[in-house]
Amino acid sequence: MNLTPEQQELGRRNFLRVVAGTPAFAALGVAAAVKGPVRGGPVRLGFIGLGGQGRVLLEQADPRYAEVVALCDINPLQLQKADESLVKTARQPVKHYADWREMIQKERLEGVVIASPLFTHTDVAVACMEAGLHVLCEKMMGIDDASCRRMGDAAKRTGRVLEIGHQRFYNPVYQAAYAGIVKAGLLGEVYHARLVWHRNGNWRRTAELPSPDYSPAQWGYPTYDHLINWRLYKQYSRGHMAELASHMVAITDWFFGTQAVAAVGSGGVFRFKDGREVPDHTYVTLEYPGGRDAVFTSIESNAFDNYYEAYYGTKGTLILQGEIEAYLFEEGAPAGAAKATGVAVAPKAGPAGSASESRAADAAGAGKGVGAASGGGDRLAAYRMEVSGFCSAVRTGAELKCRPERALGSAKACIAGFDAIEKKARVEIKA
Amino acid sequence: MDLTPTRTQQAALVVLRALIGWHFLYEGFVKILWPAWSRDGAPIARFSSAGYLRSATGPLADLFHGLAEVSWLPWLDHLMAWSLLLVGLGLILGLFTQLACAGALALLALFYLSWLPTRGVYEPGAEGNYLLVSKNLIEAAAVAVVLVFRTGRIAGLDLLRGRERAQPVAPVAEATR
Repeated sequence: MNLTPEQQELGRRNFLRVVAGTPAFAALGVAAAVKGPVRGGPVRLGFIGLGGQGRVLLEQADPRYAEVVALCDINPLQLQKADESLVKTARQPVKHYADWREMIQKERLEGVVIASPLFTHTDVAVACMEAGLHVLCEKMMGIDDASCRRMGDAAKRTGRVLEIGHQRFYNPVYQAAYAGIVKAGLLGEVYHARLVWHRNGNWRRTAELPSPDYSPAQWGYPTYDHLINWRLYKQYSRGHMAELASHMVAITDWFFGTQAVAAVGSGGVFRFKDGREVPDHTYVTLEYPGGRDAVFTSIESNAFDNYYEAYYGTKGTLILQGEIEAYLFEEGAPAGAAKATGVAVAPKAGPAGSASESRAADAAGAGKGVGAASGGGDRLAAYRMEVSGFCSAVRTGAELKCRPERALGSAKACIAGFDAIEKKARVEIKA
Repeated sequence: MDLTPTRTQQAALVVLRALIGWHFLYEGFVKILWPAWSRDGAPIARFSSAGYLRSATGPLADLFHGLAEVSWLPWLDHLMAWSLLLVGLGLILGLFTQLACAGALALLALFYLSWLPTRGVYEPGAEGNYLLVSKNLIEAAAVAVVLVFRTGRIAGLDLLRGRERAQPVAPVAEATR
C-alpha cells in the first residue's frame, strides 16, 4: 500500500484520534491484579527448531517470564546461531539436542516453543502435550485439517496450554484497531478485505552442509536442499498460504467475527521454475458469511506494495501496514482530505525482518517497497509479548490471545486456499 | 459502675486485632512468596526494602538512606518479611498476643519514622495528604488499644497457655489509665 506523505499524516492522525483512550492501547499488558499471587519462577522452556523464526522467539523470551533450559535442532549450524542469540541477549549457554524426544525426556521442562517445519508441528506438539508440557507452536497450526484438529483435541484432552504463534494478536496496533475501530463499528459494514504480501526475491535459500558427513536422510529429508528449503515443497509446506496468509487471515477472522466458508484460488510457479512445488504467485479469495470476502495475494516478482491488511467498510477504511502502522480513512471525506498516517508503535529501526523466515525476501534486500522502508524495529515487541503471554497462561492461567480454536479457523481457510489453487476449483471449508 | 467491656466491645477488639494481624501477615507472606506471579500473569519483582529506604523522609532520613546501601540489606529484608509474618500470625491467632502487639508497634514506629509526613502535601507513594498523622500512626494507635486491653485473654490461643488462662479482662477504667 503506497500512500502519499500527506495521506499518511492524515490517516495516522485519524487513527490516533479514534483509538486514544482505548484500554487495549493504553493498558496492554499492565492490567491491574485483582487476585493474590501465584508462586513460581520463570517458565522453564525448551526450544524446538532454531531457524530464523525460532531464534526470534528465543531472543524475545523475556527472562522474567521464561527460562531457556535447552535448545533442539537437527541442524548444528542453527544451534550455533542460537548460541549467538543467547550471547547477544546476555544469557548463559544451554544444552543442545538434535532429537526433541530426547530433550523432553531428559530435561525438566514445563513447556516448549516449536518453530520447526510446518509438517512436523502436529506430531511434536501432540507428543509434548502428552508428556505434560505446554506448547507455543509457530504458525500455521498444522499442515492439514486433520493435523490441526489433532492438536486442538490433544490440548483439550491433556489440559495443557496450546498457543499458536500468530503474534499480531499481541501487537498493540492490532489490539487498538480492533477495540477502537472495528468493534466500535467505525468502519460500518465491511464486505471486503484486501490482504497483501508482495515481495521481489527468491524464497529459496542456499547453505553449506553443517559437516561433510552430515546426512539429512537421518531426519527424513532426501536432500539438504529439502531440509533448508522445506517451504518450497508440498510434502512439508503449504507455501504462501501457510507462511504468510495465515497471519492475515487470523486477523481477518477476528475483525469479521467469523471464519471463512470457502476459497477460490489461482496461481502457480511462474518466475522461479527451479523445481519448487509451491506457487511463487498466489491469488486466493476467501468467502465469509454475509457476502464478505478477503482477497489474499502474494507475489515474488514485485515488492512495491510490500505487506498490509486493508478493511473496506461502508463508513471507513482501515489499513494496517507492515505490522507497525495503521491508517484510518473516513468514507465520503473530500479526496484531498484523505488522511492516512501510520501509528508507529516504536522507534523505527533496522531490518527487523532479517530474522523472520517469512520475510526472507525482504531481508535479502530484494523487497524495498514503501512498506519495507517503513518496516520498523519493534514489530518484534509483539513476539516478546507473545512468549510472555504464553508463559503467563502457563503459570497463572491468564487468557491466551491465539487459542487453538482461533488458529484452527485461519489454518482451515489457508489450507483450503492452497487446495483451491491446486485443484483450480472452489473449495468449501468444513465447519 | 462496671467498666468491664461488654461482649460486643470485646468482640470488636478481637476483630480489630485480627484485621491488623491479616494486614501484617499478608505483607510478610507476599515478601516471602517470591518468586511469584500476579494472577493477571506478570512476574512479581523480588522484595527489597532498598527503594523504600532510599525514599525515606523526615529527621531520620539520613539513617534510612544509609541502611539502603548496606551490604547486609538482603538479610534485613528477610528479617522484615518474617517479622511481619510472625507478628501477623500472632495477632490473628491470639498467640503471644502482647509480644505480637509490641512487635507490631515497633515495626509501625519504624515505618512511621521513615516516612514522617511533615510537608502536609501529597507525596509520591502516599495514598493521600497527611500532616504528622499518617495511616501508619493510626494503625499503631489501634495496636496500642489491642495491647492495653490484653485481647489474648478474650480470644485466641493464649487462652490455652497457663499464664493467660482465667485472668479477667481489664476493666475499661484500668486499661485506659
